[in-house]
Amino acid sequence: MAEEFEPKIIAFLCKWCSSAGSDLAGVSRMNYPPNVVPITVMCSGSVSPLYIFNAFQKGADGVLVSGCHPGDCHYIKGNFYARRRIALVKELIEYIGLEPQRFKMAWVSAAEGKKYTQIIQDFVQELKPLGPQTKLRREK
Amino acid sequence: MVNLEEIKKEAKKILEEGKVKYIIGYAKSSNILMAAPVFIKKPEDVNKLIWNPTCFQNLVKFLLDEKRKKAREKEPDTRPVGIFVKGCDSRAINVLLQEKFITREDVYIMGISCEDLGVLDEKKIFKKLKDEKPEKIEFDQGKNIVISTKEKTIKIPLKEILAERCLECTSSFPVISDVFWGDRNNRSPKEPFKSLEQIESLSQEKKWDFWQQQLSKCIRCYACRSVCPMCYCDECVVDSINLAVTADTSAEEKAQKIKWIEKSPESSENFGYHLVRAMHLAGRCIDCSECERVCPVDIPLRLLNKKLEKVAKELFDYKAGLDPEQPSLVSSFKDEDPEDFIR
Amino acid sequence: MEKILTKKSFPAWVKKLQSYTVYAPEKQENLWSYEVIQNPDKLNLEHLNTVQAPKKITFPQREVFLQFNTSKEGKPQIKEVLPKEQPTVIFGVRPCDAKAITLTDKVFGEEPKDPYYWSRRNQTTLVGLTCNTPPSDNCFCLSVGGSPHAKEGLDILMTDMDDKYHLDSLSKKGEKLIKAAENLFKPVSPKEKKELEKIHRESEKKIKREVKDIKNIPDKLKNMFNSPFWDEEAMSCIRCGICTYLCPTCYCFDITDELTSTLPLNGKRVRTWDTCQFPDFTMHSSGHNPRPDKASRLRQRILHKFQYHVENYQDYLCTGCGRCISLCPMGIDIIEILNKVRDHE
Repeated sequence: MAEEFEPKIIAFLCKWCSSAGSDLAGVSRMNYPPNVVPITVMCSGSVSPLYIFNAFQKGADGVLVSGCHPGDCHYIKGNFYARRRIALVKELIEYIGLEPQRFKMAWVSAAEGKKYTQIIQDFVQELKPLGPQTKLRREK
Repeated sequence: MVNLEEIKKEAKKILEEGKVKYIIGYAKSSNILMAAPVFIKKPEDVNKLIWNPTCFQNLVKFLLDEKRKKAREKEPDTRPVGIFVKGCDSRAINVLLQEKFITREDVYIMGISCEDLGVLDEKKIFKKLKDEKPEKIEFDQGKNIVISTKEKTIKIPLKEILAERCLECTSSFPVISDVFWGDRNNRSPKEPFKSLEQIESLSQEKKWDFWQQQLSKCIRCYACRSVCPMCYCDECVVDSINLAVTADTSAEEKAQKIKWIEKSPESSENFGYHLVRAMHLAGRCIDCSECERVCPVDIPLRLLNKKLEKVAKELFDYKAGLDPEQPSLVSSFKDEDPEDFIR
Repeated sequence: MEKILTKKSFPAWVKKLQSYTVYAPEKQENLWSYEVIQNPDKLNLEHLNTVQAPKKITFPQREVFLQFNTSKEGKPQIKEVLPKEQPTVIFGVRPCDAKAITLTDKVFGEEPKDPYYWSRRNQTTLVGLTCNTPPSDNCFCLSVGGSPHAKEGLDILMTDMDDKYHLDSLSKKGEKLIKAAENLFKPVSPKEKKELEKIHRESEKKIKREVKDIKNIPDKLKNMFNSPFWDEEAMSCIRCGICTYLCPTCYCFDITDELTSTLPLNGKRVRTWDTCQFPDFTMHSSGHNPRPDKASRLRQRILHKFQYHVENYQDYLCTGCGRCISLCPMGIDIIEILNKVRDHE
């Protein structure tokens, strides 16, 4: 039998909440799929749409942007800007025909290690039936 | 109906008074179906000006050149530039004002209402002519276009050959101006986003097939970017240079500069370019659809920008270019912005 | 060698050319474009100007020169990639576009010869088509030494004669194509010969646009480098790449390394078209740009075509196809510019 497809997820995690949340999951030895490559950014508001498109170009099967809950942003309102911008990216990605399941946004606080693992687990489960993302990928 | 003679009179007056440095307007070009931009410095040249539905170009683009030129001059002439704008073009000025790229004193805005018309779509004309070549055109009462070809003369109601965007236009008159010609009747097209429906109704795979086929045609001539009054970045993400390079920038630093999008006109790179451009125009595009008109390989670029215009309207109740004082779409937010897509 | 081929037999001839990749103009949506022909029965040669010249086949916008990577032991490895195209025939080539290919041939034929260009070019057979009526409103081939039935660069020139084509085979490559289906062709009768001459004569009369006394222009340009003329003419330019990318003669390119990974190193060296109309074309790594504004870039385009190239190769780098005029979004018209240069004080 052929090996099961293992999707690769690029996760842009804000330093102050989501990245700390993923660390909590790690130090608490919670189990979650190893399919995710975390990239710590200073704020979800600093995630340029370019990063997202480029992750897909470089072969990501799914992209996650995660930041602090509304009101908790270290920079007061970075995540509110992100919320708008990501909504636009999400609509655009769907409009050009990429599967909308491939792109997600989440709020994960530093205390929500459990939520983080759950998000990744669900994301991987959703991506598996879709197979590899080849549409925006450079090397086919 | 707008009277061209009045327009010329005003243009002549402000040039004679020295109120403006020069006037950016429309003149005839060697293509009878398209006007060309003209830059009028002398009062006696105002007779070159024309105004009709072939005045496609969004002249606001030339304000960007003017700004760059002024920045290079030691003692620049600080008088404003006179510029003719249609409804859509005037909204472009508003966005530039909103972004503080230009100031109100930089421009003397000569607004012309499209009234109940707009500009033509050359492709629609060619379809009507079935590839016969037009040799002469005339506009009759502002209602019809009379086209003569070698074989025949045909009369087409202008409404049948207007550009898509004009059919979906909600404000056909300039929203900001110093002088104004024509009426200020709001239009309320029943379906301002009708052109999107066809793609929106497709399945994900069909949507992809459509855009994949369209964007693969791109030859990266960047005419869409070049013609866009909103594309004023000194350095575009697709350019291979970094204007921040100075004499002390080391070779290593230069080599390590991230290249987001390659020069190759490959599908993935083309998507990279057009998606980034669409995002960058979200909440800024004023739907002059010049990008689509100039595209030599006929990519329906307007449909990308129009989609985000629709999203901005529906999700954030935002419309670009109506008010230079409003905060811009992506540098503002509301507490009640939708977040049902966030986990 | 001259032959007659009925239009009915044309598809049969194309079908005999199985060993070739066959390109011909195809109408896609509203535009004509050279495409690989799968079904010769659908072929028709009634095309207007294609948006892109056949340059896109002989000198594609992107080609890979070499692939490089580091081996497991950390050794750099480089592998050259030469085009592996099979023999190609392009049908329906307009004489101006064929002439344009001869111009790029000269440039890429200088020592050291460009192996990438030539390995593709040597495999290409050009079958031209007389422009009985001009395929564009802005055709001006007669002014730059061409004609609607010029043979230069072509391996075969076909002329539409109602229900048949006249074929003039001009090279060995052309003969080979005809030999592939010899029984389809008939000899030319004296009457047909006369008719052909008439069509050719008429075709010239239908070209409307011209640049008179073009021979004076190269000399004139020599003294115009610093003229404010260029500032005026370039006012409405928006510095896009349409005029140059769609020009059949423009051949400027850039070479870049496209990395798929930095560690371990993996990537390709590619050649892509470039154009003097982009601001970064002349950007130095110091940050200095010797052609800082659009006036100097428009001047470069005209000077290259009508002064520098004439000095270096005794020919204009323009074949009068009119694409840059028809497709300029701002209506910049090279004929008008040349006329103004000629009359410049």
